[in-house]
Amino acid sequence: MATPQITLTSSDGVDVTVERTVAERSVLIKNMLEDLGDSGEAIPIPNVNEAVLRKVIEWCEHHKNDPPTAGDEDDNRRKTSDIEEWDQKFMQVDQEMLFEIILAANYLDIKALLDVGCKTVANMIKGKSPEEIRKTFNIQNDFTPEEEDQIRRENEWAEE
Amino acid sequence: MADNAELESFRREWREEVSRRSKPRSQPTPQSTQSTAPAPPPAAPAPPRLPPYHEAIHRKDLEEEGEVEEEEDGPPPAAFDPDGLAQRVGELSMNSRKKVEEDIFARGEEEEPNSALEHFERAVEKEAAGNLGDSLQHYRKAYRLDSAVDKSYRNKHYSHVWKKPAQPPPSESAAVPVTAPAPTAAADADTENLSTAELIASFAHLPIPQAEPLVENTPPPPCPIAKVPSEVLIEILRHVAVRDPATFGRMALVCKQFAYHFVHQQSIWKHLCQQPEFGFEGMHYAFSCDTLGQPIYTLSGERYTPFPEGAPLEIPKPLSSWSQVFQSYPRIRFTGIYISTVNYMRPGAASVFQTTSWNSPIHIVTYYRYLRFYPDGSVVSLLTTTEPVDVVPHISKENMMAARAIKKGGHHLRASEISKAQPGTADYVPPVAMEALKYCLRGRWRLTPPVPLEDGFEEAEFPLRPGQKPTSTDPRDLVIETEGPASHYIYMMRMSLRSPTPSKSHVNPSKNTKLVWQGFWSYNTITDDIGEFSHRNDRAFVFRRVRGWGLR
Repeated sequence: MATPQITLTSSDGVDVTVERTVAERSVLIKNMLEDLGDSGEAIPIPNVNEAVLRKVIEWCEHHKNDPPTAGDEDDNRRKTSDIEEWDQKFMQVDQEMLFEIILAANYLDIKALLDVGCKTVANMIKGKSPEEIRKTFNIQNDFTPEEEDQIRRENEWAEE
Repeated sequence: MADNAELESFRREWREEVSRRSKPRSQPTPQSTQSTAPAPPPAAPAPPRLPPYHEAIHRKDLEEEGEVEEEEDGPPPAAFDPDGLAQRVGELSMNSRKKVEEDIFARGEEEEPNSALEHFERAVEKEAAGNLGDSLQHYRKAYRLDSAVDKSYRNKHYSHVWKKPAQPPPSESAAVPVTAPAPTAAADADTENLSTAELIASFAHLPIPQAEPLVENTPPPPCPIAKVPSEVLIEILRHVAVRDPATFGRMALVCKQFAYHFVHQQSIWKHLCQQPEFGFEGMHYAFSCDTLGQPIYTLSGERYTPFPEGAPLEIPKPLSSWSQVFQSYPRIRFTGIYISTVNYMRPGAASVFQTTSWNSPIHIVTYYRYLRFYPDGSVVSLLTTTEPVDVVPHISKENMMAARAIKKGGHHLRASEISKAQPGTADYVPPVAMEALKYCLRGRWRLTPPVPLEDGFEEAEFPLRPGQKPTSTDPRDLVIETEGPASHYIYMMRMSLRSPTPSKSHVNPSKNTKLVWQGFWSYNTITDDIGEFSHRNDRAFVFRRVRGWGLR
């Protein structure tokens, strides 16, 4: 028997068909399907565009056989900082796409993907100076020099 | 208040000046300042209150005040000054900053100084590094070449301070990208009135500001991180924190939103306190291995940790937040080295050839003790005259064992060992370091549990623990045991974690980064004898971060 398929509609109106078990990596979709029953109608995903949705589905496909995340496992996952190799490759995208994936994972409630995304960003930050971090993410410095100095002195202890 | 701000801006300039000077000579030191503005502006209170000031002078002051204890605790040498680093990043390219950080324990090209001024500069450098013997030699040569060398030194490096007190030297302002308009004195007074806590609280709902477009009237560069909701941002920050708390600290200087989370996300701090890499889960309150580093297995299995996970926790009094716990509760750092620099003078005999000499020479001897701690409860201890730049980056258990293998195996093994790794590669150990590493000692460490542990096997091991009060529950007390000169000897060190005293340039230094000696003994396991070493030359250990250590 073929696995049941469902259809998702991206924010830009493109229908994407996906195995139900794959889509259920998303807690949001899983709950929706449980609540509404599978009517066969396309499920609108208003916050995610097609490119990102396909990327997210690619991730879910690869991880569809992962054991479901339980509460205490969540803690273990948080403890390890490693990203598995496939996920590292998967996250080699430009920064805009990376954050789109993070936002989509957050919206669709896919904890493991959100986690991989956050770890990837954390690795981009690790070991950098404030100015380097600003440059990396195109953030503007909104401190006055006095404020910056005050906070620097206050947080000095954290350097070692 | 305005005075304060002025003081701050002066300090900032000074730091920039000093850190720039201490970089390789690729960058010319501005001397142009001398020619500008000969008369000091009338409303300049700063110069008389702030005499030209540098590390060495400052430390001398301390000593004269009787704070000999603190000798090594002056502000760290300029090149390592994180403040200075962070400061300079504002105006210089990032590459130069990285270079400086990497160079902390790397020896650059050293040219022999020629002029009096160059000798003087080298002397200041050496003094800052704690090497008084070499420093003194350079000072002597400098003064012999030019008796007024200190004046020319001051003219070269600090002239702008009294010539143009309120403004940075011209070369510098050219390098500063125009980011914010210089605030007026009134604005200064306003911000200074806010306490840091209030200041940060006012950042609560500010968005992450996007960078301006590089070219006017073009779309700004994308700033996707600004769209991320704060719960996701906190998750990212948590991941940064567990990778490297220092980077987490620097995040607070990126923008106001991050600064707010840095202070107010107590869940991140609690998590940091509980995890093993930097937090208290990694602290050992009972020995977890023998002196050679072999793990000890106990039947009880449960080891004491002050803030276990999954149990209701109380923040120890008088602290009030988890960030304070992380900051103040005693812990050992794994991300660097603890260094004790000892200088002592020894009268030398006059040479037989100098029959006319009526002053006998005095030798200044400098030696170092190094301690590198590992989260598994082991420690590497090294006593050597080799300077930090030469040996520190290579102190590790692996290199220690490699050096010992060479010691046993003779010269041919040594050649093969060296050929294995080429200069420039990560695991290459230069011969001078290898030579020193032979004398590394394996050991183990533990802190004193704040509550008496039920399991008393520790104390049973040695019948007598000199200097140990059986009821000591000061969690700052540290016990280290290492191998001795022979297999039936054990060295025992007792130390206490202390915090460096805040100084002008370091108002809020890291807590518990000093190790103060309590006692040092050797124990003969066969005869059960204990001998105490004299404390005459013992100096406190000071922690220095080493790039790449203890991070994942």
